[in-house]
Amino acid sequence: MALVGLEHIAKSYGGGAPILSDVSLTLEPGSFCFLTGDSGAGKTTLLRIICLAEPPSRGKLTLFGADSARLDRMARTALRRRIGIVFQDCRLLDELTARDNIALPLRIQGAAEDKILDNVSELLAWVGLADRGDVRAASLSGGERRRVAIARAIVGRPELLIADEPVGDVDDGVALLLVRAFEEINRLGATVLIATRDIGFAGRFEHQRFRLDRGMLSEAGGTAVQ
Amino acid sequence: MMRLRGAQRRLTAERDEAAAFVPWLVALMVYLAGLGGVGLIVLDDALRAAAPLAATMTLQVPADASKARLETVLAVLRQTPGVVSVHLLDAPETAQLVEPWLGPSVPLDQLPVPHLIDLRIAPDAATDFAALRRQLATVAPGARLDDQRPLLAGMRAATRRLDGVLGAAILVALLLIALLAVFAVRSNLAARRPALELLRLLGADDSDIVRPVATRWLWLGLAGGAIGAGAALLTILALRGAGAVVQLPPPDGGIADWRLLAVLAGAALAAGIIAMASARVTMLRHLAQLP
Repeated sequence: MALVGLEHIAKSYGGGAPILSDVSLTLEPGSFCFLTGDSGAGKTTLLRIICLAEPPSRGKLTLFGADSARLDRMARTALRRRIGIVFQDCRLLDELTARDNIALPLRIQGAAEDKILDNVSELLAWVGLADRGDVRAASLSGGERRRVAIARAIVGRPELLIADEPVGDVDDGVALLLVRAFEEINRLGATVLIATRDIGFAGRFEHQRFRLDRGMLSEAGGTAVQ
Repeated sequence: MMRLRGAQRRLTAERDEAAAFVPWLVALMVYLAGLGGVGLIVLDDALRAAAPLAATMTLQVPADASKARLETVLAVLRQTPGVVSVHLLDAPETAQLVEPWLGPSVPLDQLPVPHLIDLRIAPDAATDFAALRRQLATVAPGARLDDQRPLLAGMRAATRRLDGVLGAAILVALLLIALLAVFAVRSNLAARRPALELLRLLGADDSDIVRPVATRWLWLGLAGGAIGAGAALLTILALRGAGAVVQLPPPDGGIADWRLLAVLAGAALAAGIIAMASARVTMLRHLAQLP
């Protein structure tokens, strides 16, 4: 059973020009893929559809074997807890500390507080922010915010990890480290989908690549790794 | 179930500075609603106190009426359907009755004080008092039947109108509490939208997101309600103490009347519940527009 199945997905807003025209894509469990494309190609829109942030205008989305059009609000909420998302703009809550931002998915899931503390501390150390946990997100640098966003996306051990331009504003060395981190998460069983406009960067890895161009998706190379 | 703590609750709840005025506005509404409720009790007491008037009538027979005429009058009254009892006041009873106006030392036997007859009327009796008056006029010319029932009926009608006005005022006050909660929550939702959408995308239930807001408004409403109810109680105490300056009839049981306390406590509780329910509905309707 495919983890994510997109069949002829189209998306437009208010009757305007379509952002996505006819996108079909299947992500098998445990796969690692890059989604490339220029700015405005529709990568973020496609990711938002996959993580149930908005419905497609046309086509069918199957997530964890369930048809998204048939999901009620409770079921969508339940599926979202199985997805980790790294937003393009990080979307940290500036009023909270780095630690509380990372803990948010676990608190939403109702995890025990001691488990939350353990997991969050471990992840803070993993992303190199062990001494920055009690700093408010508003005071973190761009790179630190990115790392907190990644830690928040994986703290709930998601089955599907979606990252929108996770390496867009970090230097090459850090970007490489972040992708290695995603690969580690992938090895632990998560399916990973990374969107980036840097086609050259994505090409440095042997992962399956898709290219989104003017709302159409095509396979751009790499190896489908199960 | 999501457990938001400390700063996290502020993600969905209103900013403190914006909500600081809310308890005082709620207090004002509860104050007005509470006084309105006490007014309803006072009116109810007044009506109940006046109710016996409907069952009594007084007949005045001229002082110079003969004993035979007086006996005839009594007989006519006793035979009238709906008249339960007839009692001719004797001299000491009459003296006691007129003493407040004439004083204790006035010789009544030298004054043309009319004979007074106290009548008890069955409350539901369909007595034809016009016919009775005509009959009495032939038996004892100059006899006068004092009937307080039209006065009481007028009082009842006025009380009903006042009840309506007070009831409407109470409803308006409670409605304003609901509107206050709705608009305050709405004004904050725009600023909170990114945080709310994030919580949804991270898998938070609507009820988890709404709970801190609803709880906060419950406490704001209860706090404002307690202040308003306390102020209403103090006002009633002050008006009672003001004596002749402001005459507010207290409820039957005075300040410790359970109805008075129940009305004020109920108003405070209603404020909390209405504020909470309004905030909850507003939040849920807003969240329904989010993915």
